Amino acid sequence: MKAVRRAVLEARAIAREFPGGAGVRGIDLTVAAGEIHAVVGLNGAGKTTLMRLLLGMLRPQAGTVRLDGVEIADAAPQAWAGVGHLVEHPLAYPELDVRSNLLVSARLHGIPRERAEALVARALAEFDLERYARVRASRLSLGNRQRVGLAGALQHDPGLIVLDEPTNALDPAGVILLREALLRRAGAGAGVLVSSHHLDEVARIADRVTVVNAGRVIGNLDPAGVDLERAFFALVHADDVERPRA
Amino acid sequence: MNAMLGTVVAVEARKARASRVMIWITVILVGGLVALTGGMLLGAASGDEQVLAKLGPLAATGGWAGLVGVVVQIAAAGGLLAFGVALSWIFGREFADGTVSGLFALPVRRPTIAVAKLVVFAVWALGVAVVLTIAVALMGLALGYGATDAAGAAELLRVPVLVVLTALLAVPAAWAATLGRGLLPGIAATVGIIVVSQVSAVIGVGVWVPFVAPALWAIAPSQVPPVALLAVSSVPFVFGSLCALAWGRLQLDR
Repeated sequence: MKAVRRAVLEARAIAREFPGGAGVRGIDLTVAAGEIHAVVGLNGAGKTTLMRLLLGMLRPQAGTVRLDGVEIADAAPQAWAGVGHLVEHPLAYPELDVRSNLLVSARLHGIPRERAEALVARALAEFDLERYARVRASRLSLGNRQRVGLAGALQHDPGLIVLDEPTNALDPAGVILLREALLRRAGAGAGVLVSSHHLDEVARIADRVTVVNAGRVIGNLDPAGVDLERAFFALVHADDVERPRA
Repeated sequence: MNAMLGTVVAVEARKARASRVMIWITVILVGGLVALTGGMLLGAASGDEQVLAKLGPLAATGGWAGLVGVVVQIAAAGGLLAFGVALSWIFGREFADGTVSGLFALPVRRPTIAVAKLVVFAVWALGVAVVLTIAVALMGLALGYGATDAAGAAELLRVPVLVVLTALLAVPAAWAATLGRGLLPGIAATVGIIVVSQVSAVIGVGVWVPFVAPALWAIAPSQVPPVALLAVSSVPFVFGSLCALAWGRLQLDR
C-alpha cells in the first residue's frame, strides 16, 4: 500500500448529460501523484465524457475539476504544461512525418526548441518508432499512429497523464511499451489516469481501479484480487439490475 | 494573446508547408487564372462574340489595363473560392482529422491557435498575391505590352491589391468551419459570400458593403472610392475575432 500523496487531479460531483441520456452524472474522482488510477467501464459508460470533462474539453453542468488544487476554469495556461493526454484521436497530423509530429507536440506543450530535439529522440527510442521517424503519419498503421500519439503525450514527462483507452489498436509489443512507460513515470511521481472498456494489461497495473456504469461510479476493484473480470461483470450486472428501480 | 503565439505560428507554418493542399490550391489558382485569362484574350482577339460580350468595355481596353482587368475580374470570384477552401481546410481539418482534442489542455490558449492559423493564412495569401502578379507580368511581357504599353504597367498593382482584399473577405469561412466542426460549412460560407459579392457587383450595388466592394472595384475601379476598399479590413477583424472567440469557447460536445 502506497502512502497517501497529494492529488494532482480532483473531480467533485461532475455532471454533464446529453440529450438521449448519455453522459456523466455526478462523479467524484482523484488522481494522486505517483499512482496509476484506472477507470473501467463498458462502451457508453461515460468514460470518454469523463476524460473530456477532466481536460476542459467539455464544461460540466455541475461539479468542479481541480488541477493541482486550482479549478481548471481559473487555471493559467501554464498549468497545462505539466499535463499529457490522449483522448480518442492521437495528435498525429497525416502530412507530417513522425519526428515532426513529435516536435510539434513538444512545442505545443511549451518545450523550448533547443530541448525539443533531445526529447523527441528519446521518445522515438522509447516507443520503438525510430525506423518510422521520417515516415509521414498518413502512411503509418493505426497502431503506430497510436504510438506516435502516446509518445507525444508522454515525452515531456508530465506530472499528470490522462489516457482514454490507450491500448486501442496497439499490438502486444506496444501494450508492453506503454505499460513500462507508465510505470516509469508513475514511479517518478506522475499521476496517471487511464480508461479502458476491459481489464487490459494497462488497467491491471493500476493502483486503483474504479468501475463506471451509466455515467456513475458504481464501485472499485482490488487490482491484486483474483478473477477481476468476474468481479467487474458482477458489479456492472448488479448495477444494471438495480438502476431501473432507482 | 500569450507568449506562445510565435511557437504556434511556427507549428501551423510547418503543417501548411508539409501539406499538399496549400500547394495545390496555389497551383490551381495561379495556373487557372493564367489559363482562363489567356483563353479570354485569345477569344476576344479572334472576335468571339460571347467572349466579347462577357468582357464588355474591357474588350476594347487592351494593353496592361485590359489584361489586368480580366485577371482581377476572374480573381474576385476564383480567388475567393480558393482562399475560402484554404481557410476551411486550415480550420476544419482539425475536426475532420480528430486532432482538435490534442489542442486542448495545452499551455497555449485556443484563441492563440486560431490567430496563428489566420497569420499563416495571411502570409500564404501574400505569397499567392506576389506569385500571381509575377505570372500576370510575365504574361503581359509575352504579349508584348512591355514595348507597346510600357506606361500602363502600373495597372499591375491592382492584382496584389485585389488578391489581398479577396483573401480578407474569405475569413468568415474560418468561423463557419469552426462553428460547423468541419470543412464543408466553411466551403458553404465561401460560396455564399461569392454569390452575394458577384451578384451585387454585377447589378452595381453595394459600394460600401465590404463583401461587394472588391468585386465591384474589379469591374469598375472608378466607381469604388479607396475608403470603401479600406472598409474591407473590417471583415477579417470582425470574423477573425468571432473565430478566436469560438475557439476559446469550443467544447467537444458533438
